Amino acid sequence: MIEALLQTLLNGAASGGVYALVALGYTLIFSVLGVINFAQGALFSLGGYLTYLFLGGKIGVNGALPGWGLPVGLPFWLALLVAALGSGAVGLLVERIAFAPLRRRGAEPLLSLITSLGAGVVLVNLLQLLMGAEGYAFPQGAAGLAHLPESLLIGGARIRTIQVLLLAISALAVAGLSLWLENSRSGKAMRAVAEDATTATLLGINSVAVVRLAFLLSGMLAGLGGGLIGMSVSLAGPYFGISYGLKGLAVLVLGGLGSVPGAIVGGLVMGLAEALIPAEASGWRDALAFAILFAVLVLRPSGLLGRRQLEKV
Amino acid sequence: MSSRIAPQAATQPLLQIERLQVHYGSVQALAGVSLQVHRGELVTLLGSNGAGKSTTLRAISRLEPASGGRILWHGANLAAVPAHRTLKLGIGHCPEGRRLLNRQSVAFNLELGAYLRRDREAIAADLERCYGLFPRLAERRQQQAGALSGGEQQMLAIARALMGRPELLMLDEPSLGLAPKLVAEVMTVLAELHANGQTILLVEQNAQAALEIADRGYVLEAGRIQLQDNATALLRNPQLKAAYLGG
Ligand SMILES: Nc1ncnc2c1ncn2[C@@H]1O[C@H](COP(=O)(O)OP(=O)(O)O)[C@@H](O)[C@H]1O
Ligand SMILES: [Mg+2]
Repeated sequence: MIEALLQTLLNGAASGGVYALVALGYTLIFSVLGVINFAQGALFSLGGYLTYLFLGGKIGVNGALPGWGLPVGLPFWLALLVAALGSGAVGLLVERIAFAPLRRRGAEPLLSLITSLGAGVVLVNLLQLLMGAEGYAFPQGAAGLAHLPESLLIGGARIRTIQVLLLAISALAVAGLSLWLENSRSGKAMRAVAEDATTATLLGINSVAVVRLAFLLSGMLAGLGGGLIGMSVSLAGPYFGISYGLKGLAVLVLGGLGSVPGAIVGGLVMGLAEALIPAEASGWRDALAFAILFAVLVLRPSGLLGRRQLEKV
Repeated sequence: MSSRIAPQAATQPLLQIERLQVHYGSVQALAGVSLQVHRGELVTLLGSNGAGKSTTLRAISRLEPASGGRILWHGANLAAVPAHRTLKLGIGHCPEGRRLLNRQSVAFNLELGAYLRRDREAIAADLERCYGLFPRLAERRQQQAGALSGGEQQMLAIARALMGRPELLMLDEPSLGLAPKLVAEVMTVLAELHANGQTILLVEQNAQAALEIADRGYVLEAGRIQLQDNATALLRNPQLKAAYLGG
């Protein structure tokens, strides 16, 4: 009983951690540009597939190059890191293609919702072209996870090791990002641009570079999330990231647009609430997520930790 | 902040603006403005609302592109300099409406003022100097900037600009919205900075207060310089008296 509950809570916290990663990705870009990057879900998918390939996985029969794989088999943490960097690099490309041209022309920022959605669709379709529509399970031997025990004994309860890893890695990423924003020179510059880009410019901050950095980090967070989910569940197909992207969006609004602690708390609330739904009723999971969102927004229109719209002077 | 361009003749102005034009779309905001600021001077740019004062400062900071004329800094054209480089060159801009980072603390705002500097000890010394200049900021250093009173916010905006150690300090209507006593306080601080050698370009609608501390002044009207003279002469100028000095 206790064991089941503990496993449930940990599962919830683990997927909550991944939701928080996705929501933080949105948060970074929303803070500096005031817009949502709808390619985030596609970058999540990309991260999953890149992790698979860097672990030494082969392309399946429906892919463009059946049986082909990278001539490497990296340990799982390195594969995750490289895949996250890859997703970050593509995130930068999305900025170049879908955001920068609009900004240069002084276009309505809302238009980037469409251009980024377009970039995401193209990316997912490229993935489908290369990898096929089939699902992939991560190669077990190459993952470097093989010599880890399948489950751990925590407080008398057996817990799947991969869930513990998932939680630990997303917690590390979230903590690292928060510390970086709080203490580093570039993190402070990002906070300044988030609040007032013109002021930041007058203080000598290159706000264009800060925006690019936000896209890089945001893509890395999405890619990391995709790699983690691929590892703990599997890759269900090129679209698998889209549902995480949507869930992250719900978490973003739940926690409060633009709030870093809000994205973290929102992610955990969402993950735990879902995990508490019994397996027989799992079809209700997504409905529950959006019911929570609805309830919170009725009670607190600015989200759990969002700023109330008072301080606009 | 040392400048990389060697000063030539002693007569060369620090800042020289020649027939500057700025357009917002098809609307002309500046129609050929020329002015100079020499090292160590306190120059004021006066004019009523919409005259183009802020636009002039924004053009110098490269926030607005010039559509004609040129801006010379130490004799070199600023046309190709991006906005985030102007402070590095020595041009500090305390913008209209203060533009503080309202959600951040007083201390964070000041720290960001010194964003480009790496000389930690000198930064710490300047921070203490700012707190000495504005003791009320020292008491509130951990408070959110947005929670300060209007006067304190203006002090913070000036202090933040000083933290960048600009060779030229440009201020856009620092007296705006302040009670007369606070206006006097701000002007006293600017006069002190000027006495210590700080070069200042002060944009104001409050002509009386600005001219009392300035060396020279320009009067801008509808994007053109209408008058320019020594501050004492401008204070006695009948035209200016009628228009701005309430009598
Ligand atoms: N962003 C803008 N877009 C269009 N017109 C502007 C903008 N900013 C200023 N203007 C116009 O340019 C003129 C000069 O404005 P400004 O420089 O702000 O004047 P001042 O600072 O002297 O009050 C005004 O007519 C104003 O309406
Ligand atoms: Mg103005």
